Formats: sequence, structure tokens, C-alpha cells
Amino acid sequence: MTSTDANPSETHLRKRRLTRFQRLLLVRLALIPITLIGVVTLSFLLVEIMPGDPALVILGNTASADEAERIRTELGLDLAFGQRYVDYMAAVFQGDLGNSFFTGRPVLDDILRYLPASLELVTISLFCGAVIGISLGAIAGYWRDRAPDGFTRIVVTTIQALPDFLIGLLLIFALFYLLRIVPAPLGRLGLLDTYPPGVTGFLFIDLIIAGDWSTLASALRHSVMPVATLTLASVAYFAKTTRAAIGTAMFSRHTQFARACGLPERQVLRCALLVARTPILTYTAILFAAMVGGSSIIETMFSWQGLGQWGLSAILALDIPAIQGFVIATGLLTMLVYLTLDILVAALDPRVRHD
Amino acid sequence: MTDAAPLPSVRRAHDRHRLTRAWGGHVRLVGGATALLVLLLCSLILPLPFDPVDPDATSVLQPPSTTHWFGTDSVGFDVFSRTIDAARRDLSLALGGAIAAALIGVPIGLMAISKGMSSKMVMRLLDAFQAFPLLVLAIAVVTLAGNRLEMVVLAIVIIEAPRFIRLVRGEGLALRESRYVEAAIAMGASSRRVLFVHLLPNLTGVILVQLSIAAANALVVIAALSFLGIGVSPPSASWGAMIQAGARQLTTGYWWPSAFPGLFVFIAVMSLNLVADDLDRIFERSQR
Repeated sequence: MTSTDANPSETHLRKRRLTRFQRLLLVRLALIPITLIGVVTLSFLLVEIMPGDPALVILGNTASADEAERIRTELGLDLAFGQRYVDYMAAVFQGDLGNSFFTGRPVLDDILRYLPASLELVTISLFCGAVIGISLGAIAGYWRDRAPDGFTRIVVTTIQALPDFLIGLLLIFALFYLLRIVPAPLGRLGLLDTYPPGVTGFLFIDLIIAGDWSTLASALRHSVMPVATLTLASVAYFAKTTRAAIGTAMFSRHTQFARACGLPERQVLRCALLVARTPILTYTAILFAAMVGGSSIIETMFSWQGLGQWGLSAILALDIPAIQGFVIATGLLTMLVYLTLDILVAALDPRVRHD
Repeated sequence: MTDAAPLPSVRRAHDRHRLTRAWGGHVRLVGGATALLVLLLCSLILPLPFDPVDPDATSVLQPPSTTHWFGTDSVGFDVFSRTIDAARRDLSLALGGAIAAALIGVPIGLMAISKGMSSKMVMRLLDAFQAFPLLVLAIAVVTLAGNRLEMVVLAIVIIEAPRFIRLVRGEGLALRESRYVEAAIAMGASSRRVLFVHLLPNLTGVILVQLSIAAANALVVIAALSFLGIGVSPPSASWGAMIQAGARQLTTGYWWPSAFPGLFVFIAVMSLNLVADDLDRIFERSQR
């Protein structure tokens, strides 16, 4: 590496050669603009699949000619396809996602307003899901084909056969109707609670900043059911992935070597978990990305007022600018999550980091 | 002559411990398949005790009884008749969607096996596409495209076809290294012949497994869509819409309008998953 007798041209060459990690980083960063264009194009094309005259589809057949004309101008439907595409791209990349047809508010403002609630819900649920799921999966993977494995298998198979909205309804029936231990699924706070001043937009953090502990307690009580629903839904995925990863890792060379060294079983399992870390991390990222938009049904069911609920109501109301904004926002978020994942995996896994 | 080519006996390093797995017999395959068949047959030939789309306004929210086995809902529909009627619609849509996704995904996946630049491009495109929350995209597509039943199949294809492409390509790339492919190429087989005559038959197992997983997913997607009131239009019954209709009474204790269709979704998805699990084991696949 630091040989002094190397001639200048050789050291020069060596300096220019990037490590594998740096190259991976560069490739990923270079892919961002391409993916971005793809995402925006997809959101643009969404309008094109509408049959007939979009203006009439949105307004219904009773619309006046004026209103239809307004929608057409707003969507740019009076322009040629190519022109429309260029205009749309230009506007989006300047940060202008248009205004909602129904509320008239800028779509970007709405997205930023509703995103924190979704992030809170998904982060908390995924954390709980990961803790429970990874433990279940690790136990099952370690005692493969024994009683713990069977138990995990039953849990996983059962949860996987339940759509998340069904889990939510079961929880509402059990916790709210039968046991009466949680408040009604009607929002993040009770009717009498006041919202804290929005500093960060994250309700929990704002409540802590405001020091409003009784409202925080109410917010936590209101979170029990939606968080439990998404936690349960994610437990199955975590347990399944971890079981497979640990199962493989228990037969890997690393673990064999750890065993051969005479390490206690606890340490051996730790080694296996290290080997299994990458697939588990990958799955966490995939779940996170899928859930931010994908929890829309659960958000709607519990009136969580997050991005998913907002996007879903936009879709059902055919609010085109809002739908496009939603598609772009979720696509962008997914991209960022995957980018973070790639960097994290490369940073943690020496097999990826080094040549 | 080609289908007799044996699979390489040791394909993955940790195959060995799979042999010691204690799950003997094919209880899950037989059980799952039987449950599905019974459900399908019931929905097709069972005479329904009541008209599934004609409510009886005089018996509203009746609990399960000998007349109304699953009770009646808030409009006066007989929950049993509607649950069975919905099975036909939901199951056929799910199976149809899964098969359509396979018919589109498998050929594209086979084409993408070549190591050329274009195959890389296809995979990159697929990455970008799959990065979306696909359920949301499916909801948007179905709503925007006019909210019709056929569009639900399109939504399922959007969600499931990329998985077939990925699976077929991945497995195919591994299989392509086998001796019999090498032999076929040496004997002058064209690349299309290698793909469709030599590789495809050996991929049947994994495709079948993915088909039942896709059908299970499709059932959940259909239930979610109709839960939101998308795709299946009232008054025709579907499980998701029934669950949604019953959800409003759930907090007042009328559990049966939601519970029975929910139970049927659970049974159907569970059966498909069990079939997939067991098939997977039969075809000796350890990954995924």
C-alpha cells in the first residue's frame, strides 16, 4: 500500500482507483436522477389511463362546460402530449406539484403536513414488529423443527392469512367493544384534547416539547390499536425472514468456526445473528417503504390523518394533482429508503465493502 | 428426452438439513387443496338458501340461526348466501389474476435470462417499478381506469407479474449452468429452444409455488380493493365489501356480518399459503 519505491504514475493510478464502497455509492447516487424521472413520468402517465375525457370522469356527467374547461386547462389537456409532459416535468422539478382540485391547497404543503403522522405510525409499528418478529424468528431458526419453530410457524401462517384491515377490525372488536380498554378509533387524540403547537409536525415529539403529559398519554392510548395492527402485520414478515436467515446462518462457516472454537452457545447465536443481519435489514427497509403508502387502509380505519389516508381519499375522489403528488412522494421516499439501505449494508457488511 | 434430465442433486450448500425436517407427509398440501376445492365447488353448485342480491327488509341484523346460518346484515341480506356467492367472484378473480400474471411474467422472465444489456435494463426498470407501494398504485390504476371488475385483474397483474419475472429469471440463471443446457447448446439448439423446451419444464415447480402465493396475495388485494369500495360494485357480493359493510356495526356488537366473510378470506388465503408451502418443500426450494 505505502511502498515508497513505486513510480509516480503507479501511485497516481492507485489513487484514482476507488474502493468498492465508493464505487457503489457513486453508482447509487447517479441512479437517483434516473429513478426520479421514472417516478415523475409514471405519475404523469396515470392521467393518460383514464378512459374518455378525464374532466368529465372527475366531475361526473352533470358538469357544466365551464367547470370541465377549467379542469382541462388545469391538467393541460388542451395542449399536445409532448408539451404537456415537458411542462409537467418542469413544474415538478421546480417543486410545484399543483393544487388540489377540492381543497385548492398546494399539494406539496399537504404532503409535508401529513407525512410526519405516517412516519410516526410506521416507525413505531415497525420497531415493535422488528423486536417481536426477530425474536420469534431467531428462536425458531435456532430450534429448527422443534416446538418453538412449530409455534412460530403457526403464528406466521395465521397472520399471513389475515389482511391487515381484518386484523384492525378484530382489534377494534376485541379491545374497544369487548374489553373497553382503548378509546374509539376516531383519530389520534380525543375530542377534548388540544393539539400542541406544531413545531416539528410529529405529534408525539410536539407533545413532549410542549410538556403536555396528559395529552401525550391520550395520544398513546389512541395509538394502541393502529400500532398493534401494523405491528402484528409486520411480525409475520420479520419472523419468517429471520427464521430463514438464522437457519442458513446456523449452518454457515462462521458459526461452524465459532462452535469449533468452543464458544458458548450464546456467542454462537450472536455470530449467526451477525451473518443474518443483512437480509433482516433489507427486509426492514422494504417493509418500511411499502408501509408508508401501504398503511393507507389502516390510517383511514383509525382516522390517523397521515399521508396514506390523505392519498387514499385523493384517489377515491379522483383528485388528480393530489394523486400524482402522492405517487411522487411515496416513490421518492421509497427511493431514499433503498439508498439508505444500500449504504448501510455496505457500511456494515465487509463482504460488500471490500473487494 | 429432455424432461428426464435430473436436477442437480445438491443445489445449495445447506440443502442437507432440509432432509431432516420433521414435517412429514403432505398434510398441508392435501388439507389446503381440499379446503379450496370444497369452497370452489360450494360456490359453484350449492343452492343458496336466499337470494344474495335481494335483501329482506323485515329481518335486519338477525344473529346466526337455523334459518339464517350466518345471520343477516344491516340491509337484510342473508350473510351465508352472500359469503358463498362472493367466493365464486373473489376466487375466480384471484385465480384468473394470478394466471394472467404468470402468463405475462414467465415469458418476460425467460427472455430476461440472457446476460445482455437489455436484460439488465429490464431488471433496473423492474426495480424502479417495484419500489412503489404497489397496492397503492393498483388502487390508483383501478380507480382512474374506470373502476370496473376487469381492472382488478389488471391491478393483480401489475402487482404479481414483476415477481414472476424476477423469480423465473433468478431460477433460470441458476439452471442455465446445468449440464443438460450445456449439452442442448452443444447440440445446436437455438436459444429460444433452450429457454422454452429445456428450461421452462424444469421451472414448473417454482412457477407453481409462485402461482399459489400470487393467488393468495391476489385474494388479499381483491379484499382490500373491495373493502375500499373499488372494483366490485354493489349489490353484487364480495368478501371485502361485506367486511366493510359489517364494520360499521362492529363497534355496537353485531359481529357476524363482518366475521363470516372475514373467516372465509382467512380460510382461502391460508389454504393457498399451505399449498404453496408444501409445494415449495416438494420441489426442494429453500430460499425465499
